[in-house]
Amino acid sequence: MNELDDLRQRAKRRLLGLERRAKDPRFEQVMGRFVREGLLVVNHDVREHAEPLRIDDVLWAGTVEPRILELLPALIVKRPSMFVGVASLPADLDEAVEALRRDREPETFRGIAGKDVHRWLRRVGRKDKAPSRLKSFRFTSDDQRLLQHLVKALGLSETDVVRRGLRALT
Amino acid sequence: MLKGVAQALDSWLVDENVAAVAEGLPRHPACTIHVLGQTALFEAELPLRLAATRDVDVRADYDDATRREFARLLARQGRELDPLGDEIWMPRGTRYAELFLGKLVRVLLAEPEAVLVSKALKAPTKNQPLLTEYLAHGPSERFLALARKHALDLEQFV
Repeated sequence: MNELDDLRQRAKRRLLGLERRAKDPRFEQVMGRFVREGLLVVNHDVREHAEPLRIDDVLWAGTVEPRILELLPALIVKRPSMFVGVASLPADLDEAVEALRRDREPETFRGIAGKDVHRWLRRVGRKDKAPSRLKSFRFTSDDQRLLQHLVKALGLSETDVVRRGLRALT
Repeated sequence: MLKGVAQALDSWLVDENVAAVAEGLPRHPACTIHVLGQTALFEAELPLRLAATRDVDVRADYDDATRREFARLLARQGRELDPLGDEIWMPRGTRYAELFLGKLVRVLLAEPEAVLVSKALKAPTKNQPLLTEYLAHGPSERFLALARKHALDLEQFV
Protein backbone atom coordinates (compact mmCIF):
# COMPACT_ATOMS: atom_id res chain seq x y z
CA MET A 1 0.00 0.00 0.00
CA ASN A 2 1.50 3.35 -0.96
CA GLU A 3 1.52 6.45 1.20
CA LEU A 4 -1.53 7.99 -0.44
CA ASP A 5 -3.63 4.82 -0.11
CA ASP A 6 -2.66 4.61 3.55
CA LEU A 7 -3.69 8.24 4.09
CA ARG A 8 -7.01 7.60 2.36
CA GLN A 9 -7.71 4.48 4.42
CA ARG A 10 -7.05 6.32 7.66
CA ALA A 11 -9.27 9.21 6.50
CA LYS A 12 -12.01 6.68 5.71
CA ARG A 13 -11.80 5.21 9.20
CA ARG A 14 -12.02 8.65 10.76
CA LEU A 15 -14.90 9.58 8.46
CA LEU A 16 -16.85 6.51 9.64
CA GLY A 17 -16.63 7.85 13.18
CA LEU A 18 -17.78 11.30 12.04
CA GLU A 19 -20.70 9.82 10.11
CA ARG A 20 -21.75 7.75 13.12
CA ARG A 21 -21.74 10.86 15.32
CA ALA A 22 -23.62 12.84 12.65
CA LYS A 23 -26.52 10.37 13.03
CA ASP A 24 -26.73 10.95 16.78
CA PRO A 25 -30.02 12.67 17.76
CA ARG A 26 -28.07 15.36 19.62
CA PHE A 27 -26.25 16.37 16.45
CA GLU A 28 -29.41 16.19 14.36
CA GLN A 29 -31.29 18.44 16.79
CA VAL A 30 -28.51 21.03 17.01
CA MET A 31 -28.06 21.15 13.24
CA GLY A 32 -31.84 21.24 12.82
CA ARG A 33 -32.09 24.31 15.04
CA PHE A 34 -29.12 26.13 13.49
CA VAL A 35 -30.44 25.50 9.98
CA ARG A 36 -33.97 26.54 11.01
CA GLU A 37 -32.61 29.84 12.33
CA GLY A 38 -30.69 30.47 9.09
CA LEU A 39 -27.38 30.32 10.97
CA LEU A 40 -26.02 27.46 8.89
CA VAL A 41 -26.74 26.41 5.33
CA VAL A 42 -26.22 22.81 4.23
CA ASN A 43 -26.25 20.83 0.99
CA HIS A 44 -27.99 17.81 2.48
CA ASP A 45 -31.30 17.07 4.19
CA VAL A 46 -31.64 18.28 7.76
CA ARG A 47 -34.80 17.90 9.81
CA GLU A 48 -35.56 21.28 11.36
CA HIS A 49 -35.79 21.49 15.13
CA ALA A 50 -37.55 24.26 17.07
CA GLU A 51 -36.88 23.47 20.74
CA PRO A 52 -34.19 25.10 22.92
CA LEU A 53 -30.88 23.24 22.89
CA ARG A 54 -28.84 21.96 25.82
CA ILE A 55 -25.44 23.63 25.92
CA ASP A 56 -23.73 20.25 26.44
CA ASP A 57 -25.39 18.93 23.29
CA VAL A 58 -24.31 21.98 21.29
CA LEU A 59 -20.71 21.62 22.47
CA TRP A 60 -20.77 17.94 21.58
CA ALA A 61 -22.27 18.65 18.14
CA GLY A 62 -19.48 21.16 17.63
CA THR A 63 -16.97 18.31 17.63
CA VAL A 64 -18.70 17.03 14.47
CA GLU A 65 -19.33 20.42 12.82
CA PRO A 66 -16.95 23.03 14.29
CA ARG A 67 -18.86 25.95 12.74
CA ILE A 68 -21.39 25.39 15.52
CA LEU A 69 -18.66 26.31 18.03
CA GLU A 70 -17.80 29.42 16.04
CA LEU A 71 -21.37 30.70 16.41
CA LEU A 72 -22.18 29.48 19.93
CA PRO A 73 -20.64 32.23 22.15
CA ALA A 74 -22.26 35.05 20.15
CA LEU A 75 -25.60 33.23 20.19
CA ILE A 76 -25.46 32.87 23.98
CA VAL A 77 -24.98 36.65 24.21
CA LYS A 78 -27.51 37.67 21.56
CA ARG A 79 -30.00 34.77 21.42
CA PRO A 80 -29.91 33.10 24.86
CA SER A 81 -33.46 31.78 24.47
CA MET A 82 -32.13 29.30 21.91
CA PHE A 83 -30.51 27.37 24.77
CA VAL A 84 -31.15 25.85 28.16
CA GLY A 85 -28.39 25.81 30.77
CA VAL A 86 -26.76 29.15 29.93
CA ALA A 87 -26.53 29.97 33.66
CA SER A 88 -23.74 27.44 34.21
CA LEU A 89 -21.35 27.28 31.30
CA PRO A 90 -18.07 25.36 31.06
CA ALA A 91 -15.15 27.64 31.99
CA ASP A 92 -13.75 28.10 28.47
CA LEU A 93 -17.18 28.89 27.00
CA ASP A 94 -17.94 31.24 29.89
CA GLU A 95 -14.68 33.09 29.22
CA ALA A 96 -15.50 33.45 25.54
CA VAL A 97 -19.02 34.70 26.34
CA GLU A 98 -17.75 37.19 28.93
CA ALA A 99 -15.23 38.56 26.43
CA LEU A 100 -18.01 39.07 23.88
CA ARG A 101 -20.20 40.77 26.48
CA ARG A 102 -17.37 43.33 26.76
CA ASP A 103 -17.15 43.44 22.96
CA ARG A 104 -13.64 41.97 23.13
CA GLU A 105 -12.03 39.27 21.03
CA PRO A 106 -11.90 36.08 23.12
CA GLU A 107 -9.01 33.63 23.29
CA THR A 108 -9.08 30.74 20.83
CA PHE A 109 -12.21 28.75 21.74
CA ARG A 110 -11.88 24.98 21.25
CA GLY A 111 -9.66 25.50 18.22
CA ILE A 112 -11.68 28.37 16.71
CA ALA A 113 -9.76 31.65 16.42
CA GLY A 114 -11.03 34.43 18.70
CA LYS A 115 -11.54 36.80 15.76
CA ASP A 116 -13.81 34.24 14.07
CA VAL A 117 -15.88 33.95 17.27
CA HIS A 118 -16.03 37.73 17.76
CA ARG A 119 -17.16 38.57 14.22
CA TRP A 120 -20.58 36.97 14.86
CA LEU A 121 -21.41 39.29 17.73
CA ARG A 122 -22.87 41.94 15.41
CA ARG A 123 -24.20 39.47 12.88
CA VAL A 124 -26.55 37.28 14.91
CA GLY A 125 -29.68 38.42 16.74
CA ARG A 126 -30.20 42.16 16.34
CA LYS A 127 -27.78 43.14 13.59
CA ASP A 128 -24.99 45.65 14.19
CA LYS A 129 -25.79 45.73 17.90
CA ALA A 130 -23.09 44.98 20.43
CA PRO A 131 -24.04 44.26 24.05
CA SER A 132 -24.27 47.24 26.39
CA ARG A 133 -23.34 47.30 30.08
CA LEU A 134 -25.00 49.01 33.01
CA LYS A 135 -23.01 51.93 34.48
CA SER A 136 -24.02 54.19 37.38
CA PHE A 137 -23.01 57.84 37.71
CA ARG A 138 -23.53 60.55 40.31
CA PHE A 139 -24.71 63.81 38.72
CA THR A 140 -25.09 67.17 40.44
CA SER A 141 -28.39 68.98 39.98
CA ASP A 142 -26.68 71.24 37.41
CA ASP A 143 -25.52 68.17 35.49
CA GLN A 144 -29.05 66.77 35.59
CA ARG A 145 -30.58 70.04 34.38
CA LEU A 146 -28.08 70.15 31.52
CA LEU A 147 -28.79 66.52 30.66
CA GLN A 148 -32.56 67.11 30.64
CA HIS A 149 -32.10 70.22 28.50
CA LEU A 150 -30.08 68.24 25.94
CA VAL A 151 -32.61 65.38 25.99
CA LYS A 152 -35.38 67.83 25.04
CA ALA A 153 -33.33 69.91 22.62
CA LEU A 154 -31.88 66.94 20.72
CA GLY A 155 -34.81 64.51 21.08
CA LEU A 156 -32.49 61.80 22.41
CA SER A 157 -32.49 59.49 25.41
CA GLU A 158 -30.21 60.34 28.34
CA THR A 159 -27.93 57.46 27.36
CA ASP A 160 -27.64 58.73 23.79
CA VAL A 161 -26.80 62.25 25.01
CA VAL A 162 -23.94 60.79 27.11
CA ARG A 163 -22.82 58.66 24.15
CA ARG A 164 -22.72 61.69 21.86
CA GLY A 165 -20.83 63.67 24.49
CA LEU A 166 -18.24 60.90 24.76
CA ARG A 167 -17.72 60.85 21.02
CA ALA A 168 -17.45 64.64 20.87
CA LEU A 169 -14.61 64.47 23.40
CA THR A 170 -12.61 61.75 21.58
CA MET B 1 -28.33 30.11 -5.75
CA LEU B 2 -25.46 32.26 -6.94
CA LYS B 3 -26.29 32.00 -10.62
CA GLY B 4 -29.74 33.44 -9.97
CA VAL B 5 -28.27 36.26 -7.89
CA ALA B 6 -25.72 37.01 -10.62
CA GLN B 7 -28.48 37.07 -13.24
CA ALA B 8 -30.51 39.51 -11.14
CA LEU B 9 -27.45 41.70 -10.55
CA ASP B 10 -26.68 41.77 -14.26
CA SER B 11 -30.25 42.81 -15.10
CA TRP B 12 -30.14 45.50 -12.42
CA LEU B 13 -26.85 46.88 -13.76
CA VAL B 14 -28.16 46.97 -17.34
CA ASP B 15 -31.32 48.82 -16.21
CA GLU B 16 -29.30 51.24 -14.08
CA ASN B 17 -26.96 52.02 -16.97
CA VAL B 18 -29.83 52.58 -19.42
CA ALA B 19 -31.31 55.06 -16.94
CA ALA B 20 -27.88 56.65 -16.35
CA VAL B 21 -27.33 57.23 -20.08
CA ALA B 22 -30.78 58.78 -20.43
CA GLU B 23 -30.00 61.18 -17.58
CA GLY B 24 -26.46 61.92 -18.71
CA LEU B 25 -24.96 60.32 -15.60
CA PRO B 26 -21.89 58.05 -15.44
CA ARG B 27 -22.54 54.34 -15.98
CA HIS B 28 -21.61 51.57 -13.57
CA PRO B 29 -18.60 49.62 -14.85
CA ALA B 30 -18.81 45.93 -15.74
CA CYS B 31 -17.52 43.74 -12.94
CA THR B 32 -15.99 40.36 -12.21
CA ILE B 33 -16.83 38.59 -8.96
CA HIS B 34 -14.46 35.89 -7.73
CA VAL B 35 -16.27 33.55 -5.34
CA LEU B 36 -14.10 32.10 -2.59
CA GLY B 37 -14.53 30.02 0.54
CA GLN B 38 -17.32 27.64 1.42
CA THR B 39 -19.70 29.24 -1.10
CA ALA B 40 -17.37 28.21 -3.93
CA LEU B 41 -17.50 24.62 -2.64
CA PHE B 42 -21.31 24.70 -2.49
CA GLU B 43 -21.58 26.02 -6.03
CA ALA B 44 -19.11 23.44 -7.33
CA GLU B 45 -21.61 20.73 -6.21
CA LEU B 46 -18.97 18.46 -4.75
CA PRO B 47 -19.95 15.04 -3.36
CA LEU B 48 -19.21 16.27 0.17
CA ARG B 49 -21.57 16.98 3.07
CA LEU B 50 -21.16 20.72 3.45
CA ALA B 51 -22.29 23.10 6.13
CA ALA B 52 -21.54 26.80 6.04
CA THR B 53 -22.32 29.96 7.89
CA ARG B 54 -24.46 32.30 5.82
CA ASP B 55 -21.65 34.65 4.81
CA VAL B 56 -20.47 34.78 1.22
CA ASP B 57 -16.81 35.54 0.55
CA VAL B 58 -15.91 37.23 -2.71
CA ARG B 59 -13.20 39.34 -4.27
CA ALA B 60 -14.71 41.74 -6.79
CA ASP B 61 -13.97 44.89 -8.74
CA TYR B 62 -17.50 46.36 -8.65
CA ASP B 63 -18.35 49.90 -7.59
CA ASP B 64 -20.02 50.57 -4.27
CA ALA B 65 -23.58 50.80 -5.62
CA THR B 66 -23.17 47.42 -7.32
CA ARG B 67 -21.73 45.93 -4.12
CA ARG B 68 -24.75 47.15 -2.16
CA GLU B 69 -27.17 45.69 -4.71
CA PHE B 70 -25.26 42.39 -4.66
CA ALA B 71 -25.46 42.34 -0.86
CA ARG B 72 -29.20 43.06 -1.02
CA LEU B 73 -29.81 40.25 -3.52
CA LEU B 74 -27.80 37.82 -1.37
CA ALA B 75 -29.76 38.87 1.74
CA ARG B 76 -32.99 37.95 -0.06
CA GLN B 77 -31.57 34.43 -0.27
CA GLY B 78 -30.75 34.44 3.45
CA ARG B 79 -27.06 34.99 2.76
CA GLU B 80 -24.73 37.79 3.82
CA LEU B 81 -21.91 39.38 1.87
CA ASP B 82 -18.85 39.19 4.13
CA PRO B 83 -17.27 42.67 4.30
CA LEU B 84 -13.87 41.01 4.89
CA GLY B 85 -14.30 38.33 2.23
CA ASP B 86 -11.60 39.82 0.04
CA GLU B 87 -9.04 39.26 2.80
CA ILE B 88 -9.20 35.48 2.40
CA TRP B 89 -5.86 33.98 1.52
CA MET B 90 -5.89 31.87 -1.64
CA PRO B 91 -2.92 29.93 -3.02
CA ARG B 92 -1.01 31.74 -5.74
CA GLY B 93 -2.05 30.41 -9.14
CA THR B 94 -5.58 29.51 -8.03
CA ARG B 95 -7.69 28.69 -11.07
CA TYR B 96 -11.21 30.01 -11.51
CA ALA B 97 -14.11 28.48 -13.43
CA GLU B 98 -16.83 30.59 -14.97
CA LEU B 99 -20.21 30.21 -13.26
CA PHE B 100 -22.03 33.06 -14.97
CA LEU B 101 -21.39 35.47 -17.82
CA GLY B 102 -23.90 38.24 -18.34
CA LYS B 103 -23.75 41.56 -20.17
CA LEU B 104 -22.00 43.35 -17.31
CA VAL B 105 -21.44 40.72 -14.63
CA ARG B 106 -19.06 37.81 -14.68
CA VAL B 107 -18.91 35.34 -11.78
CA LEU B 108 -15.96 33.01 -11.33
CA LEU B 109 -15.65 30.16 -8.82
CA ALA B 110 -12.35 29.37 -7.15
CA GLU B 111 -11.33 25.78 -7.88
CA PRO B 112 -12.32 23.47 -5.00
CA GLU B 113 -8.78 22.17 -4.48
CA ALA B 114 -7.42 25.67 -3.86
CA VAL B 115 -10.33 26.47 -1.50
CA LEU B 116 -9.66 23.30 0.47
CA VAL B 117 -5.94 24.00 0.74
CA SER B 118 -6.70 27.54 1.88
CA LYS B 119 -9.07 26.22 4.55
CA ALA B 120 -6.67 23.50 5.65
CA LEU B 121 -3.82 25.96 6.08
CA LYS B 122 -5.67 28.89 7.62
CA ALA B 123 -8.35 27.23 9.77
CA PRO B 124 -7.50 23.53 10.20
CA THR B 125 -9.64 22.89 13.29
CA LYS B 126 -12.75 24.43 11.82
CA ASN B 127 -12.34 22.49 8.62
CA GLN B 128 -11.07 19.18 9.96
CA PRO B 129 -14.23 17.12 9.23
CA LEU B 130 -14.45 18.59 5.73
CA LEU B 131 -10.81 17.75 4.95
CA THR B 132 -11.17 14.27 6.44
CA GLU B 133 -14.15 13.57 4.19
CA TYR B 134 -12.36 14.96 1.15
CA LEU B 135 -9.27 12.83 1.80
CA ALA B 136 -11.44 9.74 2.36
CA HIS B 137 -13.00 10.20 -1.08
CA GLY B 138 -9.55 10.38 -2.65
CA PRO B 139 -7.78 13.70 -3.13
CA SER B 140 -7.08 14.90 -6.69
CA GLU B 141 -3.58 15.30 -8.11
CA ARG B 142 -4.19 19.04 -8.21
CA PHE B 143 -4.99 19.11 -4.49
CA LEU B 144 -1.91 17.06 -3.64
CA ALA B 145 0.29 19.33 -5.75
CA LEU B 146 -1.04 22.43 -3.99
CA ALA B 147 -0.68 20.73 -0.60
CA ARG B 148 2.96 19.86 -1.33
CA LYS B 149 3.69 23.35 -2.64
CA HIS B 150 2.36 24.94 0.57
CA ALA B 151 3.79 22.31 2.95
CA LEU B 152 0.33 21.32 4.16
CA ASP B 153 0.45 18.58 6.79
CA LEU B 154 -2.34 16.18 5.81
CA GLU B 155 -1.71 13.92 8.81
CA GLN B 156 -3.72 16.28 11.02
CA PHE B 157 -6.90 15.35 9.15
CA VAL B 158 -6.71 11.55 9.36
